[in-house]
Amino acid sequence: MFKKKIHIENAVRKLRFNNDEMTQQQLAEEVGVSRQTIVAIEKYKYTPSLDLAFKIALAFDREIQDVFFINQ
Amino acid sequence: MNIKIRNTLAEITGALIAMTWMWLNLIDALTMSIQSVSKVLAQGIGISIILIIVLHIVFNIFSSIITGQYEENIEDERDKIYELYALQMSSAIFGISIVATFVLLGWFNLNITTGLIAITFSGFIASIFSLLLKIYLYR
Repeated sequence: MFKKKIHIENAVRKLRFNNDEMTQQQLAEEVGVSRQTIVAIEKYKYTPSLDLAFKIALAFDREIQDVFFINQ
Repeated sequence: MNIKIRNTLAEITGALIAMTWMWLNLIDALTMSIQSVSKVLAQGIGISIILIIVLHIVFNIFSSIITGQYEENIEDERDKIYELYALQMSSAIFGISIVATFVLLGWFNLNITTGLIAITFSGFIASIFSLLLKIYLYR
């Protein structure tokens, strides 16, 4: 059951726009990563660590499941 | 082109130039003494290190002039993971190359100078492959 590969998606892009059109650079600086990492996360090319996922959720003042979710 | 790809390209260019320099100086390796071959290899490694530092600076200066803005190189968890993938790949290639070198040295009864050159070049080739993997991951 758990051997199945899961696809973790996110709503970072949508949340950025809902958050006064926050730029990728601003979010990157807030969570302490490079802008390229935010770009990779938004394009689903990179899944962040739990630590970074929580930091991103906190930056938007949301629960982690509102930002990162599994596409069934 | 982002700063990660630019720095990786600088490292590939430095390694390729150093390899070419060593190749040109080792054309007559069969007639050279082991001391002079070792000297060329050590100089090649030194040249590659200096070239990589210089090319990093040159590439970043050119990029700043062209784009008109300074891009800071921030290391984060993604860089560490990609660095680990690259290290795994280079270790695998280098390990296989060393074993292959020893097997071929014994098989074809080659001299120690050939082995020395093969090991040094395999190190450079492993490094180039790992850098290419990093470019693929950062693309």
